[in-house]
Amino acid sequence: MAVVLEVEGLKKKYGSLEALKGVSFKVEEGEIFGLIGPNGAGKTTTLRIISTLLTPSDGRVTFLGFDLKKNPEKFREKISYLPEEAGAYRNMKGIDYLNFMAKFYAGDEAKASEYVERAVTISGLGERLKDKAGTYSKGMTRKLLLARALMTRPALAILDEPTSGLDVINSLEVREMIKGFSREGVAVLLSSHNMLEVEFLSDRVALIDRGVVLDSGTPQALKEKYQASNLEIVFRRAVQ
Amino acid sequence: MKNFSHLLIKEIKELLNKQLIISLVFILVIFNFIGNVTRSEMKKAMARQKVAVLDLDRSDISRNIIGALNMAGFLIEEKAGDKEKAVQEVRNSGPDLLVVIPEGFGESARNLQPVTVETYSFLKGLSIASRTKSEVVRALLNSTNEYLSNEFLKKKIPDTDPKLLKAPIKNREFVVVRERQAEGSVAAIVNALTAQNFILPVILMMIIMYSAQMVITAIAMEKQNKTLETLLTVPISRGAIVMAKMLGAAIVGLLSAVIYMFGFRNAFNFSDVDITRALGGITPILKQLGLTISTQGYVLFGISLFLTILCALSLATILGVLAEDYRTAQSLSVPLVFIVMIPYFISLFADINTMSLPAKILVLAIPFSHPFFAMQNIMFGNLNMVWLGIVYNFLFVVVMLWWTTRIFATDRVLTMKLKWRKKKVVL
Repeated sequence: MAVVLEVEGLKKKYGSLEALKGVSFKVEEGEIFGLIGPNGAGKTTTLRIISTLLTPSDGRVTFLGFDLKKNPEKFREKISYLPEEAGAYRNMKGIDYLNFMAKFYAGDEAKASEYVERAVTISGLGERLKDKAGTYSKGMTRKLLLARALMTRPALAILDEPTSGLDVINSLEVREMIKGFSREGVAVLLSSHNMLEVEFLSDRVALIDRGVVLDSGTPQALKEKYQASNLEIVFRRAVQ
Repeated sequence: MKNFSHLLIKEIKELLNKQLIISLVFILVIFNFIGNVTRSEMKKAMARQKVAVLDLDRSDISRNIIGALNMAGFLIEEKAGDKEKAVQEVRNSGPDLLVVIPEGFGESARNLQPVTVETYSFLKGLSIASRTKSEVVRALLNSTNEYLSNEFLKKKIPDTDPKLLKAPIKNREFVVVRERQAEGSVAAIVNALTAQNFILPVILMMIIMYSAQMVITAIAMEKQNKTLETLLTVPISRGAIVMAKMLGAAIVGLLSAVIYMFGFRNAFNFSDVDITRALGGITPILKQLGLTISTQGYVLFGISLFLTILCALSLATILGVLAEDYRTAQSLSVPLVFIVMIPYFISLFADINTMSLPAKILVLAIPFSHPFFAMQNIMFGNLNMVWLGIVYNFLFVVVMLWWTTRIFATDRVLTMKLKWRKKKVVL
C-alpha cells in the first residue's frame, strides 16, 4: 500500500505550552488510522495541523509527496476535515449547504451535482435535507457534515471525534459510513478518546499522550504486545 | 475567482437574512410614522395663524388695525360681548390666541398716548404649533406697532416715507469666499448650506457603522456556528475568504444604510411644508461663490468615503476575529460606534479648522473623520486636506488589510481571543 500521509517529528508550542513534542506516524492508502488518547493528549492539534488550520512549530508533514509548509493549498484540495464541534450554516437548507461546499471542490456544475448526489446517499437524511440546518438535531448535523467530508472522495478524510455527542444508533450508523468509504479506497485519519470505537474502526492505531506517540500498530498486534483484551487496557499499560 | 464569487454570494445571503429584512422594514415604517406626525405638526405651525379679536373700542383706528392684521397674514375671527365671555369662548373652541383692544384705544392713539392691547395665549401642549405662539404674538404686536407708527409719522411729516424715517441706514451685505464675492446674507448662506448638507453626516455614520457591524457579525457567526474551521480548510485562499467577508458586509451594509437613509429622508423631508423652498433663491449666490460641488469634487468625496469604508471593514474584521460569538461581537462593535460618533458630532457642532492643533490631530487620526470634513473642504477649496485624508486612509487600509490577511493565514484566526476579566465567585 502506498503512503498517503507522513508525519515526522511534529511539534507545536502555544507560548510556553508544548502541545506536541515530536509526533510521527504514516497513513496508507485506503486504511483507517486512529489516534487514541485522553483529552489534551494532542490529537486535535495534530489533526488541525494536517488540515492546514494550524502551523507546526517544527517537524514535517507530507501528503501525496507535497510538503505542508510549501503547498498547503494541495492539502486543502485533496483533504476533507471534520472538526469535533463543527456546525453547518443555520440559515442554509441541508441540500444547499452540500451544494455550497461541493462547488469549492468541483470543477464544474456536473461534478458538483455528482458530489451532492453522493452526499445525499451518505447522509441518509432524505427529505430533511430540504429543511434548514438550524432545525437539525445533533445527530442529523453530524451526518450532514460527515457526508460533506466524504462526498468528494478525498485522498484523506480527517475525522476528529466523528461520533462525538451522538447516541448509540447514530454512532453505529456513522461508523458504518466510515467503514464503507475506507473500503472504497479513501484513507481515513480519525481521533477519538473512545478507544473501543477506534478499535472497531481502525486498521492501525497510534497511542498518543501528552504530545508524544507512545506506540503504534494494528489493534491486534498492540493487544498481543501489551497482553490486553482491549485498547483501553493497552493504553493504560503503555502509559505506565 | 469562481470560488470567490460563490463565497461572496453565500456571505450576502447569510447577512441578508429574515431578521435583517424585518428590522429594515420596521425602520421604514417607524420613520414614515415619525415623518407624518412631524409634517402634520409643522403644517399646523406654518399655516395662516387664526387670531380671535375682541374690539371693545370700535374706533376707526381699531378697525384699521384689525384690517392691517388681516393684511399681515392673520386670519381674524372677531368676537363680541365682554372680555370674560370672549376668553371663555376661545378657551372652549379656539383659536388659542385672543387679542383684546380695550375701550379708549383709538382715542389714546390719536392723542399719541401709550396704548395697550391684551393678548391671551392658550397653552394646551408642547407641540411645534404651541411653541410658535410667542412668535405669533410678537408678529402681531409688530404689525400693530408698524401700523400705528406709520400713521403717526404720515400725519406729522406728510411728505416723507415713514419707512425711510424709521430705518435711514440701508445695509448691503456681501459674502466673500476666497477670491469670489456675492451680494447676500451670510446667515442665509450658512443656513442654506447646513440645510443642504445636514443629512450627509448621518449617511456617513450609518454606512460606516452598518458595514462594520456586518463584518464583525459575519465572522462571529462563523465562530458561533462552528463553521469557520471547515471554511478555512476548503480550497480557497485565506485572502479570498477575508475579501468575500468584507465585500459581502460592505454590500449589505451599504444596502441597509441606503434603506435607512431613504426612511430618514422620507421622515425629515419637509419640502411640502415650505421650509426648503426658501433655499431656491440662494442657489445662484452659492453658485456665484463657488460653494457648489463639481463632478470632480464628488469623485474625490467618493474616493474618501470608499477608503473609509475599507478602513472600517478591515478594523471590524480584526474585531470579529477577537469575538467568540454573536454577543461578544455586539459588545466589540460598541467602541467602533463611539469612534465614528466623534467626527459625526464634531461635523455637526464644530469646525475642525478652528480646533486646537492637538485636538485636530487627534480627530484626524481617526480614519473615519476624513469624509465627514471632506465635503466642506472640497467646497471651500481646501483640497490638500482632502488628499491628505485620502493618502492617510489608503495607508491605513493597506496596513490593516495586510494585518488581517496575516491573521487569517496563521493560527491566530482560531487562537486570538479577547480575554474578559472574570470576577471570582466565592461560594
